[in-house]
Amino acid sequence: MSAYNTSDLYNKYVQEQASDAFHTKCISAETHEHILLQHESHLYIPNYFIRIGSALLTIVCILFSGLLLGLLFVNSDELGFFILYIFLAGISYGALELLVKQKKYYNAGVDNILMLSILSFIIGAFFIEDFSDQYLVAAFISMLICFWFCKRFTDSFMAILCYLSGFLFLFLLYTRFGTFAKATAPVMLMAVSAAVFFVMKNAYKKADTIFYKPSLRAVMLLALITFYVCGNYFVVKELSNQMFDLQLGLRDTIPMGWLFWIFTAIIPPAYIFYGIKNKDLLFIRTGLLLIAVTIFTVRYYYSVLDVEVAMVVAGVILIAISYTLIRYLKTPKYGFTFANTGYAAKDMLNAEALIVAQTFGEKATVDSGVQFGGGSSGGGGATGSF
Amino acid sequence: MDVKLFEKLFQQQLISETELEKITVQQQAPVSVHWDVRTLLYLGIVLLTTGLGIVVYKNIDTVGHDIMIIVIAFACLVCFAYCLKKSKGYSNKRIESPNIWFDYVLLLGCLLLLTFVAYIQYQYNVFGNRLGMATFIPMVILFVTAYYFDHLGVLSLAITNLAAWAGISATPLQVLENNDFNNDQIIYTGLVLGLGLVAISFLSKNRNIKEHFAFTYKNFGAHLLFISCLAAMFYFENIYLVWFAVLAGICFFFFKNALKENSFYFLVITLLYAYIGLSYVVIELLFLAGDGIGAVYLGLIYFIASGIGLIRMFIQYNKILKRNVSI
Repeated sequence: MSAYNTSDLYNKYVQEQASDAFHTKCISAETHEHILLQHESHLYIPNYFIRIGSALLTIVCILFSGLLLGLLFVNSDELGFFILYIFLAGISYGALELLVKQKKYYNAGVDNILMLSILSFIIGAFFIEDFSDQYLVAAFISMLICFWFCKRFTDSFMAILCYLSGFLFLFLLYTRFGTFAKATAPVMLMAVSAAVFFVMKNAYKKADTIFYKPSLRAVMLLALITFYVCGNYFVVKELSNQMFDLQLGLRDTIPMGWLFWIFTAIIPPAYIFYGIKNKDLLFIRTGLLLIAVTIFTVRYYYSVLDVEVAMVVAGVILIAISYTLIRYLKTPKYGFTFANTGYAAKDMLNAEALIVAQTFGEKATVDSGVQFGGGSSGGGGATGSF
Repeated sequence: MDVKLFEKLFQQQLISETELEKITVQQQAPVSVHWDVRTLLYLGIVLLTTGLGIVVYKNIDTVGHDIMIIVIAFACLVCFAYCLKKSKGYSNKRIESPNIWFDYVLLLGCLLLLTFVAYIQYQYNVFGNRLGMATFIPMVILFVTAYYFDHLGVLSLAITNLAAWAGISATPLQVLENNDFNNDQIIYTGLVLGLGLVAISFLSKNRNIKEHFAFTYKNFGAHLLFISCLAAMFYFENIYLVWFAVLAGICFFFFKNALKENSFYFLVITLLYAYIGLSYVVIELLFLAGDGIGAVYLGLIYFIASGIGLIRMFIQYNKILKRNVSI
């Protein structure tokens, strides 16, 4: 089914694993070299920056091709646009298959953008004219297309889009079955998320899915998030407010509101706990992120503290937690360590310098803006003073 | 790591038994949460300092300016005193930080210093009308701090301050937003500053003075230089071909340098900036040659063809440049 040669994909996987083992000093440099030579992969996987550059240029190409064809053939009637979109999708798919089959592009920037553009053209074609059940149909089609792309081109971003459009499709479909369905939609979708998660987790362990491991992992992460989101009080309340047209105020509660407050409060710590127990960073990081979401949810309905006081408190707590962790994990405990065992440290430091310049650099310049006594804002306005 | 895979590799006699054993043991090795904890710490510091800033700002009438200034100065001094005590002294080489907190305390001290200088100027007009001094002094201190304590973050702060002193905003995401490039003074300043930063980058590398600072200098310098050069092309419409020649020269230089240093990052940004310049010239020439729909068609075809051409060029140079992990 895959557009790639399976031995290419397998060799790429072996190479990655061998490099991992080499960087953690499990295998010697000669062994590493030898494995790489034995498992030569012919996939074209360019450097990260080349990917970004290629992706940008692909967008330019597709955009101007669309403009050119549009100028040449379309007299701005709706059927014309429909045919144009489908035609563009067809050309793009042809180009994609050709590049993958002939040149073995793999996450090269070009193929990723082509997949996205095909999807957008086809979905766009469905939105030229309004018709009933538009969103339902579009979500379904998008799910099918993304599934095909994910399967054929082993692309994790398409796996993510496939899951999201499938999720949207289920939601739209289920809520048409009357009031009872609308009321039980959150629980139903939570059950779906959980089911998807366990199916993916089982598939992840199987040997015949090694090429899809990143895709499966991405969907697992997303399933964890949707499981929380569907139980989140804010989401449930505001969505039911919309669907049933309830006109609820800020303090009005919904039926079974307490249940969703419990979900909102319990799921993130549960993820973290599970992650710590099973040494799974995916769960820990997701849990940490969702704790922040929970805090925002609570603050939306019950703002106890002023924003700035809340920031100070949160800052102190975070610093205290990190301080404790750094102290505590100096020597490894419970299978965790603070020691930096990754091998990307140098790049991380360069990135950190850029982040510092971005977050604090603006402050530094704004400060100097103040000194120019009411000059126009930013560095640009300040020039006149010199 | 996939132990089953390595067992298979062992059967194929690609790895030795001890290596397989090491891999199995590695599975039990503790998981590193280094960057996770650092991210939390960083978030905490940003939240705390921003929050405190707002609290102070809102209550300035009850607290009083003098006390605030004294507190800020004191906190700043404490930070620098701590760093001086812990520091191992200056070296031309990279110095590992003595502990995890060191970098953050130093950064905090520098930010407090900036706030302090801005505050006394705002409140007491210390520097009077010699406004340049109010950015010049912190800038010098920041550069000295960055070099003495070896801190890349402070170095980028120092560079942004240098740019602010010259009258340009060099904050990465606001370069285009905050600068009015329809102004010849800004353009010339940008060009000179960019050239200067790139020159310093090469000096650091060749003279072995804080070699690891070279990337930060070159990164700021290159973007400033390219953007100013493009701005000059758009602004001085009558002689845009002259500026295009300048841009082409600069691009050629960076291109050669990127190939020499195996830098994918600089290769890609150089080619993209060159592409923007070239496209501008092509469009100008097309509209000079003829008006009407024909020129539009030719322009569209140019973009499609040149886009594909440049992608092919990327592919070619991806093969030529050695694969290495550096950016």
